[in-house]
Amino acid sequence: MVAASYDVVVVGAGGDGPVAAWKLAEAGLSVLVLEAGPFYGNEQWPKPQEEPGGETSSSASDLSGDLLDEQFTTREFEMVTKLLFGPADHERGFWFRKFPGDGAILQCAGVGGTTLHYTGCHPRAYPASIDEQGHWPIDYADLVPYYREIEELCEVTPAPVTAKEELFFRGAAAAGWDLVDDLNVTGPGYRPQPNAIRQPDPKLHVDEGYDGDFTYPDVEGDTLALGDIAGNPHPRGAPYEEKAKRASNVSFVPAALKTGNVTIRPNAFVTDVLTETHVGDTPTATGVRFRDTWSGGTERVAADVVVLAAGAIETPRLWLNADLPANEWVGRGLTIHFGDNVMGLWDADDLRATVGKDTVDQHEGQDIAARFDYPGLGMLQTVGTAPGIGAVLGFGASASGFAFQNDPADAPWDTMGRLAGTTLKRLLSEYRRTLQVLVVTDDRPHRRNGVTVSPALADEHGPVPLVNFEPSEGDRKRRDELARIAAEILREAGASHVHRSDSPPTALHVHSTMRMGKVVDEACEAYDVDRLFVADHSALANGVGGANPTNTGQALAARTAERIVDRHF
Amino acid sequence: MILGTAWHNLLRWGDTVWRALASFVELLSELLGFGSDVDVHTAVTFRAIADAVLPETPALGAELGPEHVPGGVAIDLDEFVITYVDDGFQLGLPHVGAHGNVPLADPIAHALDVAALRLVDRGEHTSEPSGDRPVALLEPGEASPRAIRNAAGTFSKLSRRDRLRAIGLLDEFEITISPVDDELFEFDAGLVGQLVVGFTEMIYYSEWEGYDAFTRPPSERAHPNDPGAVQSWRQTGYPGFASGYAALRGYVGTDDGPLGDGDVWTTIDEDAASTVRLTRESGSFRENDYDTSGYEEPYPE
Repeated sequence: MVAASYDVVVVGAGGDGPVAAWKLAEAGLSVLVLEAGPFYGNEQWPKPQEEPGGETSSSASDLSGDLLDEQFTTREFEMVTKLLFGPADHERGFWFRKFPGDGAILQCAGVGGTTLHYTGCHPRAYPASIDEQGHWPIDYADLVPYYREIEELCEVTPAPVTAKEELFFRGAAAAGWDLVDDLNVTGPGYRPQPNAIRQPDPKLHVDEGYDGDFTYPDVEGDTLALGDIAGNPHPRGAPYEEKAKRASNVSFVPAALKTGNVTIRPNAFVTDVLTETHVGDTPTATGVRFRDTWSGGTERVAADVVVLAAGAIETPRLWLNADLPANEWVGRGLTIHFGDNVMGLWDADDLRATVGKDTVDQHEGQDIAARFDYPGLGMLQTVGTAPGIGAVLGFGASASGFAFQNDPADAPWDTMGRLAGTTLKRLLSEYRRTLQVLVVTDDRPHRRNGVTVSPALADEHGPVPLVNFEPSEGDRKRRDELARIAAEILREAGASHVHRSDSPPTALHVHSTMRMGKVVDEACEAYDVDRLFVADHSALANGVGGANPTNTGQALAARTAERIVDRHF
Repeated sequence: MILGTAWHNLLRWGDTVWRALASFVELLSELLGFGSDVDVHTAVTFRAIADAVLPETPALGAELGPEHVPGGVAIDLDEFVITYVDDGFQLGLPHVGAHGNVPLADPIAHALDVAALRLVDRGEHTSEPSGDRPVALLEPGEASPRAIRNAAGTFSKLSRRDRLRAIGLLDEFEITISPVDDELFEFDAGLVGQLVVGFTEMIYYSEWEGYDAFTRPPSERAHPNDPGAVQSWRQTGYPGFASGYAALRGYVGTDDGPLGDGDVWTTIDEDAASTVRLTRESGSFRENDYDTSGYEEPYPE
């Protein structure tokens, strides 16, 4: 049951909302978390996509590893369709957001949010992106204690090496780069990913000759079965909290529920922020209105503090659709890590010489376990995918048309552009001898880029979000330089063919649309509305240098929760 | 570039003509075996998409083996893509389509014809449109050649390569559709390109073909997860979804640094200041002091 009022209502149970909820509840506050999507792996909702199920969950004993095993099938197409941002009901499509060109926004709905399909990568921001780029009103040092707290709870450790990571490291070393072993990265080099995925059982080492089942308790920790993008419920048979990937539903949600002070209500889309305004004063948040996505019924709930954690698209959309004061930076300054894909293809003989077998076998290991950092430019990371996701990420879209329309004669890549037809089929026939490198750019916040709402088109939750993103000249140069470095690493690793996608802007990482210093103050409380806080990636003041943003978003949410307690309780 | 008034008018005029034609053709096609819920023009257009994006490739048969010959049409990819785009996006408004989903297949098919006409208008096509192409895309008995010729739009009359070129033009304009009379639903036509190329490729190379019926409720779907059961898996060598692999080689680290520990499995870089190796244990990252005062912007804004 949802009560009439709570100390704090958190809007969104994605990567960051559960962190804030956990910290607030640890401080003794009563917390309601409202989540637009379903709650997977919870006994209150045995068939979360087929029937409304229960109303709320307030106990970690509701969490079920068996249900998560059943619902997270690891089948890529099914899981992408299941997790992307839309209502629980499987008969209903994705919620519509308008995005420019043939890019897309890849966000999830459900308890765990986009960490349901994230790849566990948990690096910190590059210190220079906080301290030197001029966007942040606080210092990197302010975040460090919170990074430590998050990394401990998420069990962040160096990622394991399988053939594809060894191939990348060999290429990076041959290209003259050094291994970086720091948490606070200030110079270029390659590293194992700091991943929030439990390390694999040592018996899965290639020398151990293991031929048993990969199920718990025979095997504990990660099972090197890929599938993080598809939810990763491994090891099969493990209790909910023993799953290897420490997405927020597995790490922070149980911790929050165990405080006894947190209630989570999924299938609840918040459509309004309620305020009270005394004459001549700024408005004060007093609660929210939400809509049950199964029944369509609406309810109100009161709170002393409201925390927006609906993500960098929906948080500004909610502000803009609620009757809140205008602020020229609400929704603006979007960064998406303007990305690209560079792929290598190897001949069998060359692979045998480099990694001792004829294939890369990108379907083995963790999805993303090796990285290259370059503060000031961004990062590269190897990506293993099942073939469907690989096809759409690597070849399904391009800003420069189809490969047959381009002649990259002098470029560091042999082909560039979208692939289809015979070329695509020939390349995918070599799936087991290919490896993609994801280019992730340190794009910078600009006011023109961001989220507005449609004056003409509304869905059941109000005017739909319209997203604009046009990279700057600097963004393009940084991305080009990273793509060039990626191509060189792949060549040095022996690739016989290198392909660049020249991807259109696509929002894999989405941040900085409610920026600290512009919309919210240093405690992440809105300048224009008292007792209204932002605790998600939208409060980040920039794209944290191009490093994966989850760790920083969570660290900031933990810090914000402490500030809420200090200021208002 | 925003679609100009002339193109809007053309699109609307085209709509009117197609609606008139479609109702006639629907009647015919029902008699000839097409389902009443899929417009012949739409069916032919999506077949032409599948045929261009994932074609049958006899040449690859000679080069790589017979399993590389069949394409999307052989496994009815086009029919599922129509279902997927019609069920895929929603506004949650009960009067708009089934379950509030916005039916997009018909407007996508028309948008592709607009793009195809523009390609031809600019003279950027490499072979002339021909009514024989859509006829060849359908099996005898699916519809009469006359009905197909009447229903087919310019897109399906283009060569495979020119169809892809036409898709490439979609990024240049916006599309307005009217799922209900008083609401205009505008979207960037780039979404069409993404659906007909990106999503089509993802569906084809995914596990989709292996389901008994993907449209069943998730808890009732069955999938054999047999590498032989999915045509595209036979073409990529993907072995199906696994519970795990004993594929661990170790952890990367150096002889002197905090990363890497235990027995050495192999050496990655002997030339480094401290030799880089793969070891049995991971060690841990260093909580290092950092100094950013020397930071220089490689490419200032």
